[in-house]
Amino acid sequence: MLMVRAIIRPEKTGVVLSEMLSAGFSAVTKLDVYGRGKQKGIKVGDVYYDEIPKVMLLCIVKDEDKDDVCKIIMKNAKTGKDGTFGDGRIFISPVEEAYTISTGTTGL
Amino acid sequence: MKEVMAIIRQNKVNQTKEALVNEGYPAFTCLKVLGRGKKTIDLSIIQDIVDAGEMPVSTVGEALTESSRLIPKRFFTVICNDEDVSKVVSIIIDNNQTGNPGDGKIFVIPIMESIRVRSGEKNADAF
Repeated sequence: MLMVRAIIRPEKTGVVLSEMLSAGFSAVTKLDVYGRGKQKGIKVGDVYYDEIPKVMLLCIVKDEDKDDVCKIIMKNAKTGKDGTFGDGRIFISPVEEAYTISTGTTGL
Repeated sequence: MKEVMAIIRQNKVNQTKEALVNEGYPAFTCLKVLGRGKKTIDLSIIQDIVDAGEMPVSTVGEALTESSRLIPKRFFTVICNDEDVSKVVSIIIDNNQTGNPGDGKIFVIPIMESIRVRSGEKNADAF
């Protein structure tokens, strides 16, 4: 199992979530986060805005589904044809165990 | 070290906190999150709500047509030693289980390193 954490633009959340749903990845958690990237935030005049609001989508998937999820997120969270700075990032980390609380069973 | 991440119901946080502190795991972090699981909402329940007049139809309609409908949850994380993982998981399950879908999920993730900011102590000393 892998945890896919995607930091995307807040306005792209709806599209990404509905595309994930139609591709069969319904389970997802959304967090509102603030951050900056390699571009050191946005410079407007003399002021740097380095706490830019983003949305973090957290999704635990089977190893073989990772590429599909990443593709869906990358395709839908992109702005413009080739993408722009600030479209976000995807991080993947291992998950060792998963439990469903209502039944107490292990696994996804 | 492992991170036990649990996504639980909002009204179960206090109970979980208390149970964990009684068992000797006082440290935790809790976040407000929105999410959805594998189960889609049962439409017949919503029809009942509309019929009973508990909610105005417009609100229900809006919530239904929105494809990215999410439910508020609490995201509860505990960092613990490898050998404590099963105990923490069982405490969380015992205190959050209502038997209905929507009770949440628990994920266990490895943590490579932990550092205490105050003193710079590392790993096992840091908690």
